[in-house]
Amino acid sequence: MSYHEEERHGGNGLDWFEESMSSLLAADVDLAGGGGDAGGGGYAWWWAASPAAQQDDIGSVVAQTLSPPSTAAPAAASPSIASPAASSPSDVPSSSSKKRKSPAHRAPGHTGGKKGGGGKGGGGGSDRDMRWAEQLLNPCAVAVEAGNLSRVQHLFYVLGELESFSGDANHRLAAHGLRALARWLPAAVGPAAAAAVRVPPCSERPTTAFAAAEPRLFRASLIRFHEVSPWFALPNALANAAIAQASTCGAAGATPRPLHVVDLGVSHGVQWPTLLESLTRQPGGRAPPSVRLTVVGPGATATSPVAPFSASPPGYDFSPHLLRYAKSINLDLRISRAATLDDAVPGDDGEALVVCLQFRLGHAAAEERREVLRKARGLNPELVVLSELDSGVGVVGGDGGSAAGEFAARLELLWRFLESTSAAFKGKDVEERRLLEAEAGAILAAADVAAAGEGREGWRERMAAAGFEEAPFGAEAVESARSLLRKYDSGWEMSAPSPAAAAVALRWKGQPVSFCSLWRPAA
Amino acid sequence: MEVTMEDVAGDFEFSGCGSTTTTSSASSLDDGTGMCYAWGELSPVADWANFCCSDDDGGHDLHGLIESMLCDDTLVGVDDDGQAGLHHADMFRDDLYCYGNGSNPSSTTTTNPGSPVFDDPTQGCPEKGLRLLHLLMAAAEALSGPHKSRELARVILVRLKEMVSHTASANAAASNMERLAAHFTDALQGLLDGSHPVGGSGRQAAAAASHHHAGDVLTAFQMLQDMSPYMKFGHFTANQAILEAVSGDRRVHIVDYDIAEGIQWASLMQAMTSRADGVPAPHLRITAVSRSGGGGARAVQEAGRRLSAFAASIGQPFSFGQCRLDSDERFRPATVRMVKGEALVANCVLHQAAATTTIRRPTGSVASFLSGMAALGAKLVTVVEEEGEAEKDDDGDSAGDAAAGGFVRQFMEELHRYSAVWDSLEAGFPTQSRVRGLVERVILAPNIAGAVSRAYRGVDGEGRCGWGQWMRGSGFTAVPLSCFNHSQARLLLGLFNDGYTVEETGPNKIVLGWKARRLMSASVWAPPPLPVPSSPPEGVCQPVVGMAPVATGGFARTEFDYIDSFLVEPAYALV
Repeated sequence: MSYHEEERHGGNGLDWFEESMSSLLAADVDLAGGGGDAGGGGYAWWWAASPAAQQDDIGSVVAQTLSPPSTAAPAAASPSIASPAASSPSDVPSSSSKKRKSPAHRAPGHTGGKKGGGGKGGGGGSDRDMRWAEQLLNPCAVAVEAGNLSRVQHLFYVLGELESFSGDANHRLAAHGLRALARWLPAAVGPAAAAAVRVPPCSERPTTAFAAAEPRLFRASLIRFHEVSPWFALPNALANAAIAQASTCGAAGATPRPLHVVDLGVSHGVQWPTLLESLTRQPGGRAPPSVRLTVVGPGATATSPVAPFSASPPGYDFSPHLLRYAKSINLDLRISRAATLDDAVPGDDGEALVVCLQFRLGHAAAEERREVLRKARGLNPELVVLSELDSGVGVVGGDGGSAAGEFAARLELLWRFLESTSAAFKGKDVEERRLLEAEAGAILAAADVAAAGEGREGWRERMAAAGFEEAPFGAEAVESARSLLRKYDSGWEMSAPSPAAAAVALRWKGQPVSFCSLWRPAA
Repeated sequence: MEVTMEDVAGDFEFSGCGSTTTTSSASSLDDGTGMCYAWGELSPVADWANFCCSDDDGGHDLHGLIESMLCDDTLVGVDDDGQAGLHHADMFRDDLYCYGNGSNPSSTTTTNPGSPVFDDPTQGCPEKGLRLLHLLMAAAEALSGPHKSRELARVILVRLKEMVSHTASANAAASNMERLAAHFTDALQGLLDGSHPVGGSGRQAAAAASHHHAGDVLTAFQMLQDMSPYMKFGHFTANQAILEAVSGDRRVHIVDYDIAEGIQWASLMQAMTSRADGVPAPHLRITAVSRSGGGGARAVQEAGRRLSAFAASIGQPFSFGQCRLDSDERFRPATVRMVKGEALVANCVLHQAAATTTIRRPTGSVASFLSGMAALGAKLVTVVEEEGEAEKDDDGDSAGDAAAGGFVRQFMEELHRYSAVWDSLEAGFPTQSRVRGLVERVILAPNIAGAVSRAYRGVDGEGRCGWGQWMRGSGFTAVPLSCFNHSQARLLLGLFNDGYTVEETGPNKIVLGWKARRLMSASVWAPPPLPVPSSPPEGVCQPVVGMAPVATGGFARTEFDYIDSFLVEPAYALV
């Protein structure tokens, strides 16, 4: 309804342009659709809706196009302004911001490197004014939600000019954001109205989907990412340290128990070699007699969309590698796969069961989360490791926030990912980075699903409701994680667990990224 | 200048229009009063050109310019603004194109010389113009409003420059829209840089313009005169109203708010000295208003010198003087030297070409001039100004636009306005892309920069509704335009492309437009009878008796400012 209205206004507005310049545009190119229609020219898509609206003045288009920002922009900005991130001090070395000013747009090769250098320097990126992509994407999300098609069209044009999957983090965010908004548009305004909006063609070579990558590239990307970024590596290391500790504690002096890890995560095996290795180095040679790894498939529940990073390409199988490695270090390892938690039946009573919930539940619907946690509790594990993204925004009123607000929160998370990968790959536009970023961009996709980046508080309540109580990390685990973090870019930091917050939080340039927490069944 | 036309007819033709204005000599319109132009002399350019570049600046005359435009090397020489890179290859192609298109000069529907062939293939998207437009608008948005982001503006401008980069030397391969976008991009870049403490590159447009040879500016100015009715429309309408108002006076004194290069008065003199009824020309005195600082005075003096020489050549009794604005650019009537027995007229042409204007025109300056001239007892006030679309809307929402959308709205308004100008020039002269390029670069680009800057600083308060409302409110009354004046305007437009329109929006006002777009208006007013309550205290008429100004050198020579003689440098500032 209302979007028809918008559409017509929008059509009016550009008429002057059409009127005056169409001749040259028509001369310039062979127009695809509008061949016969002299007046329509290249704007058949635009005109179809409003053939009668002609000869109107620019005032209406300007008015039409401008009214949304004055009213809607505050709404768009509120999530970010409200966020503590906005006010948090950011050390901005002037040299870094200077570097960012260098005109580096779309020159993949060397400028990319320059950018990376700037990012590596740290600081500059957290300056909100430098994050221009969100200044276009957030108003656009608001316009999509409001069905303001002329505004959407305007911003699509602008984003289409500035997007680049190979540019600096802003250009990449614009690319991911634009594509996500274009996918969202039909659902928001209806397919017919969405068809009237021209989505700028993506000029770049499409990035291979994460789950469709060539298996060797897939594996190389994961390993490389673990090497250069703590995004997953640090939560994994914390989890491993906690698991190793859990396998030995229990009755001191008793014989070591078998270890059973249920893996509901996104590491695709990359996490486990370090765990296995650390198990063999347990003090007193008390490695567990056997280790069982149950990998729960990506479709943990049928209805939920597959969480980013959880799917793997067909043909990718880490089991042989891991088994071979276990054999080489004299560890009795068995690997099994389960479609859901239901199939992950515990073995004998003597085993130490650990359930690893890593970066998967955050993307599931609330009901599925409850269900998964209930089943996890039903397994009566010794320990539950929960790692999730932490937007820190704490979506206002739980799931009641607007879709655009949720989109803004996800954009912030994705920004941190893109900026940190720029630093991780030293600004180089490599295939591995593209693969990972394309998958990370998927967090923008399902804006209608419950919040991805709810804060730690929400999880604490959820875990408590499922019958868990939080457990602290051991001092060693925290210390080893801290030393691990020093290997990475200086933009990364880790919060020390405190009595108030037992979880360990990972931050990028002062902004929350994820947390890792330990849970035991409540007594 | 028929000679000139003949010399170059093979390569460089003014599509018939130019020759019409300069060659037809017989048809003199006469409305019975004997007060009219001889149409054969409608364009004073032919004679005027001799006085433009006679000694100053060693510039080219029209003939020389046209010749130079045909020769790559000289053209590069003309364009000495540092981006003289008109590639020979491009020039050559352009020539080929012109020849090829010569067989169909009237075609205005496929008028994009060269671009299908020479456009960068990677830029060949169907809606490049639309993309440019959206980017320009987004950049304007990013520079204003509650969520302004300099970084976003910077990134958008970088992209815009990439898209229009091949238009740097205004070559023919660039499409109309691309060239227009290039100038608006520069204007926005000027805003962005303006707040930079160093500000070195902040005034690109002004700087670029100041690098144009003063002679080039005048030549480009004449090109625009020949290619469009934009200047003559205002000049002729105002002049005709003045001629009618002073028909019985023996001495006429015109105070000109912005004399620019002074060409308006050359045509008035021609009309005065060639009255069909044989009445001898009245004595004409012109007082040019100049701003107090900077180099305006020098430009005004130069205009006066040319006018004096021109008057002497046609036997027009003439004297020239100037008066200065206050340091805050206010007009003080006491600075005007008054001579008893002169019919006093105020002429106010706003939005002159930025390259030639001699007035900065800050807020309040125009109002002080209008009310000051009323206080001096002017019998007529002529106003030529840009016409906004807002007036047409008449929706009275101007209160609400002061906020976020204000600048963007005005920016789009200017974009719209200049796109019409661009279209009109191209429609009239589809094959002469190089001439258009020169006019665009030298005349229009500084105007765009100035208009965008004014919109940004929010000083263009009158731009929304024009001065008519203010004048009515201040007691000025409308002086109806004569039938002859109306038909003269229509006749003038008849010399140009069909797309031009003249619209009568009031008995005392006509509006020039292109297609459906209003561009500028001319209106005629009578000041309220003396005394005017709103007049400044010092505004009392102080007649100076017994002054007999000599024809030349009647004004005090003041210090020359060699730095920005002709040019107004828009004071870019971020608020």
